[in-house]
Amino acid sequence: MLVALAWRNLWRRSQRTVLSLISIALVTALLVFMLSFQEGVYGVLKEATLRIFDGYAQLQPPGWADDPTLDRVIDHPGALARQAEGLRGVSAAAPRVNAFAILAHGARSYGAAVVGVDPARERRVSSIASMIRTGRYLATGDSDAAVLGETLARNLDLAVGGEVTVLGEARDGSVAADVLHVVGLYHSGVPELDRSILEMPLARAQDAFGMEGAANTIAVGGPSLAAVDHAVPVLRTLGHRAGVSVRDWAALEPALREGIDLKYAIAMMFYATLVVVVAFIILNTLLMSVLERTREFGMLLALGMRPGRIGAMVWIELLGLALLGCLFGLVLGGGATLWLQRQGVVVPIDPRLLAQFALPARLYPTLTPLSALFGPMSLLAAIIVGGVVPYLRVAGLTPALAMRVP
Amino acid sequence: MGARLSALIAAWLAAAVAGPALALAAPDAETILRKAYDNYRSQSSGSTVAMTIHRPAWERHLELKAWTRGQDDALVRFTAPPKDAGGATLKLGRDTWVYNPRLNQVIKLPPSMMSQSWMGSDFSYDDLAKSTDILTDYSHRLLGAAQAGGHTVWTIEATPKPGAPVVWGKVSLAIRDDYVLLEETYFDQDMKPARRMTTGKVGLISGRPYPVSMTMSPLDQPGRWTRTDTVDARFNAALPSWLFTLSNLQNPR
Repeated sequence: MLVALAWRNLWRRSQRTVLSLISIALVTALLVFMLSFQEGVYGVLKEATLRIFDGYAQLQPPGWADDPTLDRVIDHPGALARQAEGLRGVSAAAPRVNAFAILAHGARSYGAAVVGVDPARERRVSSIASMIRTGRYLATGDSDAAVLGETLARNLDLAVGGEVTVLGEARDGSVAADVLHVVGLYHSGVPELDRSILEMPLARAQDAFGMEGAANTIAVGGPSLAAVDHAVPVLRTLGHRAGVSVRDWAALEPALREGIDLKYAIAMMFYATLVVVVAFIILNTLLMSVLERTREFGMLLALGMRPGRIGAMVWIELLGLALLGCLFGLVLGGGATLWLQRQGVVVPIDPRLLAQFALPARLYPTLTPLSALFGPMSLLAAIIVGGVVPYLRVAGLTPALAMRVP
Repeated sequence: MGARLSALIAAWLAAAVAGPALALAAPDAETILRKAYDNYRSQSSGSTVAMTIHRPAWERHLELKAWTRGQDDALVRFTAPPKDAGGATLKLGRDTWVYNPRLNQVIKLPPSMMSQSWMGSDFSYDDLAKSTDILTDYSHRLLGAAQAGGHTVWTIEATPKPGAPVVWGKVSLAIRDDYVLLEETYFDQDMKPARRMTTGKVGLISGRPYPVSMTMSPLDQPGRWTRTDTVDARFNAALPSWLFTLSNLQNPR
């Protein structure tokens, strides 16, 4: 009976109720979309950043993180990579030699990272292969080939077909020296990479740097970051047996992780403010309607209805309003998000700028249970808790006083 | 009042007498350092050195010939082992070139590489290039003098002059009264000791006391060190000027 009464009461002032519903629905929809959009953008940001060079995770020799020197090695990288590739969620594991050397061409010379890679595996882990601007990427069977960043090439005055001299220190401390032919130049949009990395065939790098078949790291790729993240515990077990450690994306790019955490924290503060403001507006409206009906409530009390029951009725009105509003909002926001999830959102930012952060020109929100339910649930909770105020007001009424209100 | 005045006068007198005496016993820090470097390098030098690079996993032995001219120019050519023989480094002023016989190429070292390890040792190219920077880019202070093995050993602290292009927070040196460098400790910008060079053996070379065996150890990486043993050295001999040229670096006469 209370529910029926509450429902009738809501529609006695239909205009006010509709307006309240709309505000709850709009805020809910906004929260659903914003959270999904953040989730989607950060997902893209993480994957795009990691895919350029790091990979979604890495196998590294112990101590590599603090002191990445050439003599910290993984001894049988091929076997370990094959084992890793056999894991669910891992589609590629690319062994690398990570050396540092002087690159010289003519009178010019620069210090740079020299990375020995297995071309077939590398292109499934890192997107440098797809960022070649001139020439081509390394291919299986290449020997004295090299690809380097456009900026590095410009600094060295090198073009495709040119010869670059590599002079560094081998694993045993002797001099490592090699001459390579440039087959391609890449442009990743990340200035540090474009000016500091040369890639060469793994076997040749192992030979030049006296690695005796060893590698320094194995970069892991998969269908998605989530899939690889899921495989990390198994990777750790595998790595433990081989005496290597596993670093997940957050360990590889701590700054990225902190940036995203910070952005979420700031956004949450904004969302919380929104929820509180809307909850107050709704409560205010309801409180007004309660005050308007004081005489009516006095009458009900005089007829023998207990104050608690009247309070409950008012609370149910509020609950019904909030539930209905959140439901509308969820449908509206979820629907819009799902639609944009397929269409993509064109960001009104210069695509070249986005490319610098490895972001595509079109961004896609990702509707997850969390992003869909977090907004509605927190709004609902805020309104229900806030409903204590009108409840207490009504519960404190006495028939004589209430009926005397003009 | 009278007692205090006389005490002051006494102290002043004591200082006036002791001052010159102290100066006689211990010349100022810069002079000590300059003499130590003169003893080490002179106007010119030519030496034969054995270098041992020690790592937890391995140890390498190299042999080299080194020539220096003035304070800025140096040529180092490796003679053994065969894998490294022929490789050479030439330093003229602030510029450094490396010659690799396998590539038959001379490569000018980019400035960003100067702090990198030289030939895989615990010395950097900077050590080769900036060996006399301690004289020019630092201000020096004599911290104290101690007696050890029948010698006075001076401790000198060198702090970078404002704006000097140096990476160290400070350098502390121990120099014997016959101007033999005994120890050199490099402190990082946080004033934590980062690496130390110690003289293991002092011997007579060309008639002068000389730090024959010196070991450089990075203090944050135990089990790593590089020792140089000077086998033979000649000082102040006239060196031909073609020695310190790029063409001689690539095609030694």
